[in-house]
Amino acid sequence: MIVLTPLKKFQFPVHAECINPDVFKGKSVKEIAALPVWEGNKKKKLSDIFKIEETPAETPDITINGDATEVRRVGQGMKNGEIVINGNAGMHLGEKMAGGKITVNGTANGWTGSSMKKGLIEIHGDAGDYLASPYRGSTAGMRGGTIIVDGNVGGDSGCYLRGGTIIVKGNAGPFLGFHISKGVIYVEKNAGGRLGASMTGGKIVVSGAVDEFMPTFTVDGIKKKVKIDDDFKAEGPFYVFLGDLAEHGTGKLFVSQPSNPQFSAIYDKYL
Amino acid sequence: MSVINAVTCPICGCLCDDIEVTVVNNEVVKVKNGCAVCEAKYMGYKSEHRIRQPLIRKDGKFVPVPMKEAIHKAAEILANANYPILYGWSSTNCEAQRVGVELAEEVGGVLDNTAVVCHGPSLMGTQEVGIPTSTLGQIRHRADLIIYWGCDPWSAHPRHLERYTSFTKGRFEDSEWKSYLNKVKAAAGRKKVLSATRVAPKQQRATVAEEVVFNKPPETLQKEGRKLIVIDVRKSMTAEVADYFIKVEPNKDYELMQAIRALVKEQELDVDQVAGVPVEYIKEVVDALVNCNFGIIFFGMGLTQSAGKFRNIEVAISLTRDLNLRTKFLIMPMRGHFNVSGANIVFAWQSGYAFGVDFSLGYPRYNPGETTSMDILLRGESDAALVIASDPGATFPKRAIQNLVKHPLIVIDPHMNPTAMLGDVVFPSAFVGIEVEGTAYRMDNVPLPLKKVVEPPEGILSDEVLLKNILEEVRSIKAQKAKKAEVV
Repeated sequence: MIVLTPLKKFQFPVHAECINPDVFKGKSVKEIAALPVWEGNKKKKLSDIFKIEETPAETPDITINGDATEVRRVGQGMKNGEIVINGNAGMHLGEKMAGGKITVNGTANGWTGSSMKKGLIEIHGDAGDYLASPYRGSTAGMRGGTIIVDGNVGGDSGCYLRGGTIIVKGNAGPFLGFHISKGVIYVEKNAGGRLGASMTGGKIVVSGAVDEFMPTFTVDGIKKKVKIDDDFKAEGPFYVFLGDLAEHGTGKLFVSQPSNPQFSAIYDKYL
Repeated sequence: MSVINAVTCPICGCLCDDIEVTVVNNEVVKVKNGCAVCEAKYMGYKSEHRIRQPLIRKDGKFVPVPMKEAIHKAAEILANANYPILYGWSSTNCEAQRVGVELAEEVGGVLDNTAVVCHGPSLMGTQEVGIPTSTLGQIRHRADLIIYWGCDPWSAHPRHLERYTSFTKGRFEDSEWKSYLNKVKAAAGRKKVLSATRVAPKQQRATVAEEVVFNKPPETLQKEGRKLIVIDVRKSMTAEVADYFIKVEPNKDYELMQAIRALVKEQELDVDQVAGVPVEYIKEVVDALVNCNFGIIFFGMGLTQSAGKFRNIEVAISLTRDLNLRTKFLIMPMRGHFNVSGANIVFAWQSGYAFGVDFSLGYPRYNPGETTSMDILLRGESDAALVIASDPGATFPKRAIQNLVKHPLIVIDPHMNPTAMLGDVVFPSAFVGIEVEGTAYRMDNVPLPLKKVVEPPEGILSDEVLLKNILEEVRSIKAQKAKKAEVV
């Protein structure tokens, strides 16, 4: 196992896509130390900004001990192995990852798990905006794998989701599941406005209150339980909405009935 | 005395190019055809706030220095910086902007312009779904349904209605000026009757006004001829002259647009009202949208900077796309600064991205939220800044400004504005469009020539020349550094 410890508190963005089990595999500490990273507009070696140590333990492959808020693109495109970050993680963590596992014992920043295809990301804290959402202008959202967030997530999370599962144990920001076509998003607490806007398929389940609800969803019924994955079913009852009508969508939105008494006056007459 | 015709006004995105300026002894004495803002700029640009020579802050105070010293100091700051920001660019010409891109690449900085706090979301929305748009000439001649959404051109782009939309006579559409006059006369008459018979207390009158706002759409909305719809959170000056005004609840534009999209696609809504507007009235508006021959949506900061930001623009463009399945519809942002469109065009043509371009890795990268100046400043990542042709000191949030002034700040501006007052190296520059000629892009991305009508004060250089000098100095400092490193 390689243990990385930041040598200082970073002011400038650090681009370190080399921090990846696939890249480290088969390399000596000396070779790893020479891997290129960028700090601001200066090209540096990994050893210029991290203390690099090797320990005999086999897993996880890479451990970062310390604040890595400014360290971006860690685990980008990784296919195997495991990364543990004992501290906060920077933007684009596990972007386009296709396998393996990343654990963050702290807060993750924007674009975590962006466009990921496979693997598992566990965040034992909050996640930033654009969790699992693709790069600007792209519609290639997350296609598979699982993201579990113990805390809250920011805005525009799970946009253009095409598969996989996102489980949020806290609150979610606005535009959760924007334009999703497949996959599952579960929020244990409350969700922000424009929930599931422009969704064409897939499933969003909210066990808490919904801030502002899109007018372009039509109520379809009430369901007692909803399956999130093979091991877990969310307890309802839930209003079942279909939409988004503006996209001729057939997505399903499950919103807790007891947590949203404001819906009763609007939708109960159609049930 | 000389009279200069067809001068392009360097104020707003309308870029009116029919201004007539009279010059006596190198001073503007008369301005014809322009709006009040245009006249104010031409007549008042030579104010006491004009910076006359380069300044460097020494021991907390500005000290006048020779140009060479200021240029060396600025170049040194930029050449040594790890993550500099080069911000502004909206009130200068494309020629200066082009040098700016070169400078940003040379120093490995972040090139950003005022769109980041203005129409940046429009550019992001466009990247998501594309944009069906045209030149303003097309709209002037053909548009029979004009929608102003979240903008007030009567106040912010004073000649927009007169030159390009409702109050101009196009080849195929008439001006609605006369009907507007009748409306104003009728409103004045109503006011007189109301004031003569007024007995109601203030609160009651407010209720009457609310009722007027949610009036049924008038029948004229379904008739032939030019129609004007204004959608805003308050009854603006433009809304006063409109055929129909929709008062949308603040931050609910997204819901309203998405509902209109669903209705255009002939879906039924479960709700009775959206964003405070009854669905039956929205249906009538949708009829007007679908039945027009040529519609246009102009949108402003009411959409780009309210909740939803670029998603608002994305849905507005998607609405335009949906309407194009039924009729002809276009959409256009109401750009603010006279050459903010030019900055986006020049940046995009040189680097591939319109704003928030990060050259720190040696190649251009773009990701608003990550590489935009506002976010970088809020996170405190930069270590130097160059601000040109804009005034973030007056417009950015406090925390961003606190981080901006922690590190060396270079300012290039004709006036001692709030940003210049915070600067460490301040350069005076000549007014683009008055003292310097060049190219600027109108809000519909049509390039227009800016004219030089008077000579700049002695010793004051244009933005383009200043930036070229700084760039040259940066290159020479870097070359010296490389030489030293080689020797070591």
